[in-house]
Formats: sequence, C-alpha cells, structure tokens
Amino acid sequence: MTTIATEFAMNKDILIKVCTGTGGIASGGEAVLSSLKNAISSAGIESTFYERCSIHKVGCRGFCSRDLLVDIIINGEKTTYKNVKPEMVPRIVDEHIIKGIPVKEWAVGEEYYTFHNKQTKVVLAHCGEIDPEDIHAYRAVGGYEAVGKALTSMSPEEIIDVVKKSQLRGRGGAGFPTGFKWELGLRIKSDIKYVICNGDEGDPGAFMDRSVMEGDPHSVIEGMIICAKATDSHQGYVYVRAEYPLAVKRLQIAIEQCYKEGYLGKNILGTGFDFDLKIFQGAGAFVCGEATALMRSIEGKRGMPTPKLWRSAEKGLWDRPTVLNNVETFANISRIILNGADWYSNLGTERSGGTKVFSLTGKVKNTGLIEVPLGISLREIIYGIGGGIEGGGTFKAVQTGGPSGGCIPSEFLDIGVDYESLAQVGSIMGSGGMVVLDETSCMVNTAKFFLEFTQAESCGKCTPCRIGTKRMLEILERITAGKGEEGDIELLEDLGQYIKATSLCGLGMTAPNPVLSTIKYFRNEYEAHINEKKCPAAVCRDLITYSILEENCNGCGACKRACPADAIRGVRKTPHRIDPDVCVKCGTCFDACKFHAIMKI
Amino acid sequence: MEKVVKLQIDGKEVKAPAGMNLIDAAELVGIHIPHLCYHKGLKGVGACRLCLVEIEGMKSPVIGCNTKVREGMVVHTKTDKVQEIRKFVIDLILSIHPLDCMTCTKAGMCNLQQYAYEFELKETSFTRKKMGYPVDETNPFIRREPEYCILCGRCVRLCEEQGTKVLEFMGRGIESMVGTAYNKPLLESGCTFCGSCIDACPVNALPEADRWRKGREWEYEKVKSVCLLCGNGCGIIVSSKDGRIQKINTGEEIGSAKKYICAYGRFGYDYIESETRLKTPLKRTDGELKETTWKDALSIVADKLKKAGRGAGFISVAGIMNEDALTLKKLAKNVVKTKNFDTTISLYADGDSLKNSQTAIISTSDLIVLVGLNPSQWERILPALDASIRKRVNRGAKLIVINSSDIKIEEVAIINLKGNEISNLKGIAKALIGKGLKADRKLESSLKDVAITEEIEKAAKLIIEASEPLIFSSPSLFEASANIALIKGKVIAVGFESNARGIALMGLTTDGKTYKEMLNDGLKVLYAVGEVPLNKRPNTDFLIVQNSHLTELAQQADIVLPSATFFEYAGTIVDYLGRLKHLHRAIEPVGESKSHGDIFIAISKIMGATIKKSTEEEVKKASQVKTKLASKPFVRKEGLDISPNELIESINRSVIHGSRLLWLKEAVGATAA
Repeated sequence: MTTIATEFAMNKDILIKVCTGTGGIASGGEAVLSSLKNAISSAGIESTFYERCSIHKVGCRGFCSRDLLVDIIINGEKTTYKNVKPEMVPRIVDEHIIKGIPVKEWAVGEEYYTFHNKQTKVVLAHCGEIDPEDIHAYRAVGGYEAVGKALTSMSPEEIIDVVKKSQLRGRGGAGFPTGFKWELGLRIKSDIKYVICNGDEGDPGAFMDRSVMEGDPHSVIEGMIICAKATDSHQGYVYVRAEYPLAVKRLQIAIEQCYKEGYLGKNILGTGFDFDLKIFQGAGAFVCGEATALMRSIEGKRGMPTPKLWRSAEKGLWDRPTVLNNVETFANISRIILNGADWYSNLGTERSGGTKVFSLTGKVKNTGLIEVPLGISLREIIYGIGGGIEGGGTFKAVQTGGPSGGCIPSEFLDIGVDYESLAQVGSIMGSGGMVVLDETSCMVNTAKFFLEFTQAESCGKCTPCRIGTKRMLEILERITAGKGEEGDIELLEDLGQYIKATSLCGLGMTAPNPVLSTIKYFRNEYEAHINEKKCPAAVCRDLITYSILEENCNGCGACKRACPADAIRGVRKTPHRIDPDVCVKCGTCFDACKFHAIMKI
Repeated sequence: MEKVVKLQIDGKEVKAPAGMNLIDAAELVGIHIPHLCYHKGLKGVGACRLCLVEIEGMKSPVIGCNTKVREGMVVHTKTDKVQEIRKFVIDLILSIHPLDCMTCTKAGMCNLQQYAYEFELKETSFTRKKMGYPVDETNPFIRREPEYCILCGRCVRLCEEQGTKVLEFMGRGIESMVGTAYNKPLLESGCTFCGSCIDACPVNALPEADRWRKGREWEYEKVKSVCLLCGNGCGIIVSSKDGRIQKINTGEEIGSAKKYICAYGRFGYDYIESETRLKTPLKRTDGELKETTWKDALSIVADKLKKAGRGAGFISVAGIMNEDALTLKKLAKNVVKTKNFDTTISLYADGDSLKNSQTAIISTSDLIVLVGLNPSQWERILPALDASIRKRVNRGAKLIVINSSDIKIEEVAIINLKGNEISNLKGIAKALIGKGLKADRKLESSLKDVAITEEIEKAAKLIIEASEPLIFSSPSLFEASANIALIKGKVIAVGFESNARGIALMGLTTDGKTYKEMLNDGLKVLYAVGEVPLNKRPNTDFLIVQNSHLTELAQQADIVLPSATFFEYAGTIVDYLGRLKHLHRAIEPVGESKSHGDIFIAISKIMGATIKKSTEEEVKKASQVKTKLASKPFVRKEGLDISPNELIESINRSVIHGSRLLWLKEAVGATAA
C-alpha cells in the first residue's frame, strides 16, 4: 500500500471534474462524487491525494445524453468518461488514477469531440469547466476582470457604446438590441432604477438559462453589475423560478461571495459605485417570463401582463425605469467588455452579433446544450453537432423557439439561424429551444402538444388568448381523435390569425405559431387526419390500428403475454392475430415483438 | 388650466383634455367604442380587446381604453378590420357564456347581450363549453355566478382600488376565474358587502342576491336621491316598481365606478316595510299604545305643546332634511315659543366647526390629511370617505394620518403621526412656518416651545409640495386643524350624520337647553324627532316620538307620530363636503306616514299659526354662510367624544334590524366570536 501511495504522490497532478448540473445530478452525480472519495480513501492514497489533487463539482457541459460525464485530468492529459455509474468508480480510480492507464472502453468517443469542436463557446465557455460554487474558480478564468475594467476605466456611455457595437441582441427571444435598451435606461433620469435578470425560463424542453445559472452564475452577476453601471442603477433582481432550486442555490452562493469580495454592495472595488442584488423566486408561471408580468410578480401581484404604454426602461418595476435582460444576454457582457465589440460581432451575422445557446432535443443523436455563432445553418447544427437523426430516420422538421415558435421543414435546412431568417420561415428564435422531428413525429400532434402548453399557461387576462387558444386546442383534439371536419383547417387558420392580431402580450400573439406553421408546411398531414382519418406518422392513437404481419410472426407469444387487454389470440408457433375490437392501442405488443411482426398503420 | 388636444375620430373633430383616453374622447362626440373591461373611473387594462381602434400611421390596431389622445391623431373606430376583430372577440366570449338572455336578470342591461346584438351573433361559431362553476349564494346581498363571468376584471380592480381587496383572479388559461382567497364565501373573505362589484359587472356574474324576478331593468322607475344613514350622505339611484323599491345603486351614471355606497345604503331599504314600521299615529291609553287618527294625535300634541310653551323641548337627529330642520325651528321658536331645540350633532360637534368647514373635492386633492377621524368601510364609519381616500391614494395622492389610536386606514398612509393630535398639529404648523410659509403672528408666537420630530418635518414637506392639500378633521379637532389650513390647504370637519352640516347651517342649534340637558331636566314635553340614540325614556312629563319605526324609545312614548322615510319625500341636505344634494321621492309614504316637515306644519296649524313649507330658496339662503377661518388656540373641544360606531348603529337600529343587514350584523358577530 505504502509503495503505491508514494509512487502515486510522486508523479501526479490530478484534477477530477464531476458534472453536477441538473442533468448530472439526475444521472447520479452526487453518488459518483462520494464513491470517488470513498475509492480514494480505500485505496489508501487519501493523505497524499489531496495535497496536489482535487475533485470539483462543475456545471453542465451540454452533452446531457452522455451523462454522467467525469473528466480526469492527469498532468494536463484529459480523459472524459461517459455514462459513469458509482460501481464504475473503483476501477477508474485503480487503473487510471493510481496506475495511470485510462479505462478506454468507458471514455467518450469521437462524437463527444465533434459535438464540442463544432461549437463556439462564449456563454458556455466556463460551464462544465469551473466550480460554480467557487468565486475563486471564476476569477481564475478571468472572472470579474470586466467589472474591474468597466467600473474603473469606462464611462456608462463607453460601456453602452461597446455593447451597441457588439450587435448583441436580447437572448430572451425578441432580439431587441441590448445596447439601445441600456442607452434608453441611462437616458431616463430617476433616483431609483432597477436592473432585472429574467431567469424565468419556462419553455418545455429548454434549459439554456438554467444551465448558465447553475454552471456559471458569476457570469450573470457580472453582466448585471456592468449593466447597472451603464444605466446608473443601484438595485437589481434576478427572477428565477422556484422550480430551479439548484440555480437559486448557486446564485445565492455566488451573490453572498460577491458581497464578501466586494463586487456587490456599497463602494464596489473602491470605485464609489453601489449595487445591491437580490433573488426573487417566481412561482412557475410561463407567462411570468413576459417582462410586464414578471415585474408585477416581483411587486407581489398576480403575474399578468399589462399593456405596454411605456417601455420598461421608462416605467417598469414599481413604475421606475427598469432594464430587463435575459440570463444569456447578461452572461455575454463580461466577454464583450474584455474582448471587445468587434470580436463579438464578428462571431455572428451582420445584424446579429455573437453566439446563441440552443437546447437541441428530439430525434437527434446528440441531444444537449449547444452554443453556436449566429448565422450557422440548421443543417450544420442538426447533422454536424447533433450527429444527424437518431436511429437513422429521416428529418422531417425542426421546431424552434419553444411553444411560441414554429416548425421548419427540410427545404429550409440551409437557412442561417438568426432572428430575421427564422421569422421569415414562420418561426422565431425564441429563447433557444430546438426540437428535431423525424418521420415518426406527427405534425398535428406536435402542434397540439405546444398549444396544450400555451393554453394551460395563459394567464386568462385577455379574451383571445384565454378562450381562443382553448378553442383551437379543441379543434386539434378533434382532428387527432379522428373527428375532424371539413373546414377545420380553415377555422384553425382564422382563429390563429385573429389570436395573433388581438392578444395582449407575446404569449397569445405567438401561441398559434406551432399550429399555423405546421398547417403551412404540412397541410397534407392535417388533411390525412381529417379526410382519411389517418395519422401518417402513426402517432395519433385513435387513428391507428395494430395488426400482425403473418410472414414475420413465428408465434412466440411475447405479444400475447404483454397485451394488457387480452386482445391477441393465437396458438403457439403459429401466427397470432390482434382483435381490433378489443385492442386498446397501447402499443405494448409493438415494443414486445422482436421480429418486427407488429404493424402500426 | 387643462390642456386641450385636438384630434379626429371617425371624421369628427374632437377637442379632448390632454390625458383622456380614446374611449372617453370618442364619447364626447357621441361615438361609442365597444368595450367590456374598461369602466369609467377605473384604469384601462386592455383585457377584453374589444376597444381596438385604428390610428393612422400605426401598423396595427391599438386599444382605446389605454391610448391617450394626442394632438393631430386620426382615429378610425369602425373599420372593417376592427369590426371583424370585435365580432371575433364577442364570438369567443359567447362560446363560454350562458345564452339564457330570455330569463337572465341582466337582460336589457347586459353589455355582452348588446354587443352580440350589434354584431349579429345569435350563437357562437365555436364549440360551446360550460365550466360548471357552483353559484355562491351564501349571503343575502351578492350572488356570485362565475359561469357568467367574462373575466373583464372590473370587480377585481374596483375592489382593489377601494381597498377591500376581496376579489382576485385565480387559475390559469380557460380555467381562470374571479374568486376570493382560498375560494371561501364572501363573508369569510373580509367582504363588506358594499356591492360595488354589482355596479361594475357588465354581465350577470354579480347580481344582487334577490334580484331574480324583481322586475326587468326597463320596468323600473329610477330616481336620484341621497342616502341619509351616515355622515357621508352618498348619492344613490333608487329603482322602484309597482310602488316598491327593488334595488339601489350608486348615484353615478351606469357604466362608471366613480362613486361608492356601502351595504347600508344599498341593501338597507328593506326596513321601509319591516314589522316595526309605523303606519298610523299611536297614543297611550290605559298604559298601552294604541292606534289613533292623525287628527286625534295632532290635537293632543298641539295641546301639550301649547301648554308647555317654554317648558317644551325638541330633540332631533341630524339625518333629517334641511326643509324639515327649518320647519322644525319655526315650529319651536315661533309657534311653541321655546328656546329648547337641539340635535344629536351636539354629541360629536359644535355648530361652528361644521358651519366654518370649507367646500372641497376629494377627487382632485393630491394630499389628504386625516385628523382624529377613523373612517372605515369595515366598521361602516364614514365608509365612503374611507373608500374615496383609498382610491385617491391608489391614483397617486398621499395620505397623512394624525391619530392617537391605531386605525385601519393607516395602512395606506405615507406618514402616521401617533400620540397627541394637538401636539402633532402644532408641530406641523411650526414646521410649515419654519419652511417659509406665512402665518398669523399670533399663531406663530404660540408655537415657540413646540418640538418638531422628523416625521412632522416630512409631513410639512408634503403639505408644501402638494397642490391641493385637504384636511379632514373630527369636529373636536377642527379649530386646531383649521390653523394648518390657514397656512395652506382646506379643512373640513366631518360629522357622523348625513345632514350634520346642513342642520348646523339651518341653525337648528339650541338657544336654550342642550340635547343632553333636555334629556335630564324634566321638561314638560319632550318631542323627539327621528331615531334618536335613546333606549330609555328621558325624564319628562310627556314624550312625543316622531319616527318611521316603533323603536324602544317610541314604545315608551305617550304619543307616536309616524314619519316618512327619506325615500318617501323630497328635500335637500348639505353633505360633509359642503355640497347641496337633492333627494327625490322614490315611493309613496307607507301607511299614513308623513314627512317631518308636513307634521310640523299640521301641528302649527292646529296651534293657530301658519308656517309655510320651507323651500329650497330658504335652504340656499341659510346655507350661504361666509366661511372665514380665524386662528384659534390649539385645543381639542371637550365633551364631543361619543363613539361613532355606537352612534351610527343606534340611529340606524331600525334599518339594521328591519333589513337583511341584520344577517350581516349577526354573521360578523358570529365570526368575531
């Protein structure tokens, strides 16, 4: 034992990073962390290990489909393990840490590097690399240098100028130029002004802001301090939904550290500038991501949007001038201040500078969080970074912008992703959701899914959104249940257009988008549902029938045993039959059959 | 001067005051922009989306309720595009609203019904859904029928603005509804049952609990009048049918939330027909009160008064009308020739404080100072004053409370000055002078040793910054408060009875014995007018009680004269703000009851004197008192400390006990216990 330990201590600087983002924790991050510690202690190297080596919690690095990811860096040589489980830990410790030979079969493959190498990381640069609960780790990678620069050597006008030139636009979805918003914020005079960070990310399947708040909270705070300086504001709020407990916790730790280190509070860095920052936890309403509803929520009122008579920069929270930006927007700021406006704007397109984080999900091989320069093509994202369609299927559409967005068909795969071009094809950038759909996805059903979400999350204030979205949903439900009528498509289009034109806030104005865009590009699927009572993708339960293909069935009985409705008949070793009158279309037999004998039509 | 903006609406030139919204501006030239959630007197919220209009130069339609007039604006309110949108919105609402207009209470008054008619929508073009919400019928005042609710939120905003905050939105999406906290019944939600929500609701979601089959809106005879049950004297509109009152609303035009009335004013009217209502005169025979004729009763009264002469005394409540007061004074002074005539005012005010009060408008005041008063909607002490102040505060006015006790309205005050009111008033006066405001030298010198706290300093600063400071004081603190008004602002002493100020102006204040003295001094004849706050027969040889109801006191009287209620004859009052208000007859007097004034005239006739019916001219002449404030010592008038709640409850005992208000009194008592 002693020899091993001595030998170990002699030649190694070891850094272990365990992903403890929400995905990481869900995949057993905490358990792996403790088994690592246990394995080290039972290997007898504990005393020497911690002299030179360390284990860190790090945030999400985006490649969630391979979680849990663990980096082991020995003398600068990095090996990343995927799908790590506690029982794998002793072998990794023994072979890799002690003996120095990586466990090759558990290490990530080529796709891990392609996934990362094709990205440009600005906002996510430190996510997954540094310990989000340690301000020193953040400082070690240049953290708070931008605050130092902005507070000591730049005037508010100079800061705004840099942000304007960087072409940074609001990453919350609407894409309002950040610099202009700040400029207005500075111009309006008031004894009290607020800076608010909108961390109320609520789109289904979106986790960009969450990962940044969990993985690199200091970058958000740093952006807010710089914004406060630029707009002459001294009070800020980070609005985070209570369903993001880890984000709340890590932001809280980060804020406390900032107060201790003098980045928040009175007389920041001795410059005489004051800025206080608080977390406000939202109760988890999608509509509270809308700026006016969010502000009403902080004021203690019900989160309902109010008509925008003024820009928030003039009259926002408690009727005071308020600059509100999204998490990702703020996280970009420090890099822009340090690296310059040109560096940032050159990353993107002519009208939209920089990069954008997307959560890439759906029927794509490499799901996860990605960051790409604006202007990159959808094809590059889906086939390059995403590795193409999972299971070798065919691409059908990509849904961008969350429930407010639309579905983009394959003919537009080569458009460059930016605010304008997405809008041109009937979708939006949104906060960055990207759901890839293949031929097994039913477009009517997809539209129904998103509308179910928005109509349930409507605050109920304005008539078109409250009642209109429900009526649209009812029509979709009818269509997917095989009860669609002629004229339903036109009715949906009418309703959609009216709701868009008359709703009070962005939620209602965009809620019909998934329906309208799928009608536009996949009208034939709607027609098949209505006229032929068929779901081409064989998704809508009421429109499909299960049957057994005789030539493939060898009568093993697996389907019969699995069927919960007792709908399958047949003698062993002879082809079976499904009784359509009894079948409940649950699909259990389809999954149970190993011989592709069950057909779904 | 208000700035005027010129714009064009549907081709018509409109001159509208700056800051006015497009719905109101269009109305100036007779153009109606459809709306459901907007309500005059409330802020526009843009929820219903009906009021969308097109403005030249703007890309898409904008809401009229929240868009302010601008110079040169060209507005189109009836383009095909916006009409289509409106039809769509109504269509959507109809898909979730009961279509039972033929039996609906609100029919004929329902805004939704009207718009459906205008947009030719017999049915919705969408699927119809019933939500299946239960009806809240747990109280006898307000029925809640969420199924009819169109979520316009008028009730929510109104309830919030006036400070009761009982109603709020709940739920999301199609399941959004207006409800109470934890969806408890109104009684358990702090509701005061003022019924403001009833007036605000454009549909049938919040009708009066008993409205069903009490007649359709167009069958009612509507009369403007004033509620005389407390010191606020609120304007009301009385709707009657077949000679009976069916409902009461605020005195404001329909479709506006500018005015407030409380549960007493809205629901107390049942008492008109209660069991204790007097229909004939009564006289005591063989120790028992028995019905008699007017002729008999009045001749007895005339005889007794004649014999008593200077030994007779009149006590009255201050809830009688000006004309009654003038006639009463003539009867006492000129016919009976006694100096003893006084009213309940003397229990809480001196005549001068009321007479010298200034006139003011709350709705333009930007700073309200409340001295020694506790207006409260919950205790029903000057509830309308409480509601008006809270509304003003919600609109940006500031409130300073000067009160030695803890009171509820403090919660909306920017400054609360505790401790002795007089010292605080002195402090403010001194601080104002210290900040350079001019004051009487005598006043200034009396403040030498006064201490100024930081809070007083702040209060003085607010008074200086305000453009229309308005001080409401309890009458006992009027003179001290007037010292502030002499430096800056206006001052009003607020009495607890509806016509306190009018009675003082009409001069119904004693030249002989005071109200209290008359109760104890063993007068030969004591004549009590109205529901005086007495349960026990005062020390007198002969007691005459003239009231609409058989009270405990009346049961001990020798003669009881049935008077008409304020719904049953016309007249005027002067309210606490100094406004002359008119009451009109809504229904005929019940039974043989007569107005107070008519009874006095009949008595004097029998006594051989002629008193003419008092006219409005006389009232106006009497009201024209030149108010001139003069600096007075900073003292609190003693002996005026009757408990307002007890007084108000006592003078309204027949109202409370003879109407559904009794349910409220008992229910609140039960919850409190």
